[in-house]
Amino acid sequence: MSSHAEHRRIRVDHSALVCKKGCGYFGNPAWQGLCSKCWREDNQHARSKQVEEDRALAERLQREEEAAYASGQQRALSEASATHLGKAEEKRMSQKSRSVPTVKKFFGSSSKPTLGRDATAAQTKPDASGSLGPQPVVESDQATKHFIDFLKTLQKPGRDIFRQCHSFRHSVAYKKDLGAEELTESIQDFYQSLSDHLNTLYKGTPERVEVVMDEVEKYLTLHLYEQTFCPESSDDEVKDLAIQKRIRDLHWVTVQILCAPLNEEIPAVSDTVVKAITDIIEMDSRRVPRDKLRYITRCSKHIIHGVRRTKREAASADDFLPALIYVVLKANPPRLHSNIQYITRFSNPGRLMSGEDGYYFTNLCCAVAFIEKLDAESLNLSPEDFELYMSGQASPDRLLGPGRSSSSSSSLRGGPGAEPAGAGAPQTRGRRDPDLPTGPGVQQEQSLHRPERDLIEWSDGMERSVQDVLEGLQLEPRSPETGSQPPSTIDSENADCEGLPPPLQPQVFAG
Amino acid sequence: MAAGGPGSKTYSFKVVLLGEGCVGKTSLVLRYCENKFNDKHITTLQASFLTKKLNITGKRVNLAIWDTAGQERFHALGPIYYRDSNGAILVYDITDEDSFQKVKNWVKELRKMLGNEISLCIVGNKIDLEKERHVSVEEAEGYADSVGAKHYHTSAKLNKGIEELFLDLCKRMMETAQAEERLRGNGASTAAPGRRGVQIIDDEPRAATAAGGCCSSG
Repeated sequence: MSSHAEHRRIRVDHSALVCKKGCGYFGNPAWQGLCSKCWREDNQHARSKQVEEDRALAERLQREEEAAYASGQQRALSEASATHLGKAEEKRMSQKSRSVPTVKKFFGSSSKPTLGRDATAAQTKPDASGSLGPQPVVESDQATKHFIDFLKTLQKPGRDIFRQCHSFRHSVAYKKDLGAEELTESIQDFYQSLSDHLNTLYKGTPERVEVVMDEVEKYLTLHLYEQTFCPESSDDEVKDLAIQKRIRDLHWVTVQILCAPLNEEIPAVSDTVVKAITDIIEMDSRRVPRDKLRYITRCSKHIIHGVRRTKREAASADDFLPALIYVVLKANPPRLHSNIQYITRFSNPGRLMSGEDGYYFTNLCCAVAFIEKLDAESLNLSPEDFELYMSGQASPDRLLGPGRSSSSSSSLRGGPGAEPAGAGAPQTRGRRDPDLPTGPGVQQEQSLHRPERDLIEWSDGMERSVQDVLEGLQLEPRSPETGSQPPSTIDSENADCEGLPPPLQPQVFAG
Repeated sequence: MAAGGPGSKTYSFKVVLLGEGCVGKTSLVLRYCENKFNDKHITTLQASFLTKKLNITGKRVNLAIWDTAGQERFHALGPIYYRDSNGAILVYDITDEDSFQKVKNWVKELRKMLGNEISLCIVGNKIDLEKERHVSVEEAEGYADSVGAKHYHTSAKLNKGIEELFLDLCKRMMETAQAEERLRGNGASTAAPGRRGVQIIDDEPRAATAAGGCCSSG
């Protein structure tokens, strides 16, 4: 009686609860309705089959590869009679075949299906130089190979390190639903415990530990990049877009407003600015935190060169930071926030605390923080001007044309180096109007209306020219159909072209 | 964050350089690391990040000196710079009362953010301009004492007091590091530095200071 009531309450049929294999035990929806025993059997079976398949594939590829090598060797032998070349080849080959079991041993420790694939890729890598698969896969497989090669030089400890890293990597990859925080925590804990371990292993040689840790970081981050860069659980992407929009809104900020000692009228300086912009954008395409940091440092070095060129003295932080802010504003690097977060989360912590890379990275963080919080006061502008610029109703180079010397132009007192540049560089756009009125009020009103008028004229012009083109096109379809038509000579009078507008005359533009 | 085995210990210290523009932060550190002052032959590329290797009583010390932008507009960025630093050198110009006030602000902030872990040095620079002094020696030294900082007088131009300043600072930072190690036990494990993301905290809405944070104003 009571059991009946229970049934009604949860409304589940008894048959739905037992194992689907009918072994009499209860099943579990997480195991596709099987009981634990049947599920394990089933799963084991599928898994071992997969592993076997992978292994077979690996062996086949290896055989093919060896055959290719052998034929290549024969060719080398027959074409070039130099025997020592052949020997070198042979040696390399024997090394290779020796390396195969080692690789297998590395991967043999666990039986995850992906392992077989890794081994395959590692082995086929030499002849996969044509980048067969998608780029990231090739890159991470190369990383595995590189990592193994590196660890081989460490003898036995290398194998331990690999085993640890490998199982850690898979344990992280398995936990797909980890939040950014936990992810960071677990990776940093892993770094910490591994470096502690290495410190006891290589007592007194911190340099060596550092080298190993760099390789470990490279291996892990390359493999976990998809999961760790801009993780879904975080709001990195939203922030990326926010900072990108913020920078776009600040497009009007000039070197003078920032007091950045970069005189872009000197070709060498503008060149360094371009290089710096390229590097900071390029940073996004790197996958290892250390490489990203290296690009930030490269960017910073270019900026420092530019500052030194402008000021003719060593660049201090007072000069460097504004210049960096300027470069970040000009570059609007993609996924800036994500990149910074990625580096902070997954880099070896020691590198960010000290060292040159850490310093420049900190400066980049400062630049971003400044850009995010920037207001009229921090740019020495009046709030009204700031609002005007932000809303796009005016831009500083327009308002600061000749004849206007109000509050905002006094704020342009640049850094010592910036002064010679004065209001020169950014004027180019404003200069195009020869009829610049003198009164500031009139000018402002005019400059507000002019774009509108320009826009209307432009769209009218566009409409006309589109109409013209369309009219011309209506005659077009006939010509491809008449395939046997003799090729027309360019300058001859062609009946087909009668409908086209007359050719453009250069004089029209001269007037 | 001292690292290395117990036998041949190498200390790595991060020192931040704080001070308003034009007080001579850069000259000070350039003088110390490269023994240059107002060098017109530009061989030094930058003075924003400099390193110096020292040997103090048989212990190796790697000093990384981080220059910071001193303009008022960048004041809020301070915490990003001085995070995890072992020492701070706060520079003011003895002829400029304002720059001394700025130092006081920084001290307050540093103590709040980093507690007593950080060794502070307050440095009155430009003592070659003694005649134009605006900050009295008693006031400055009294203040330094009251906040647990050491006070130094230097002149980057005449190369006075700079070696002593850095040597003293290194010794103090070593003491702090050693004390910390003892506290933790055998000092076998290296410090696990805080590694949280960058945070900017400026809960104290600073009084609207007069404009002119730009270095050309000095």
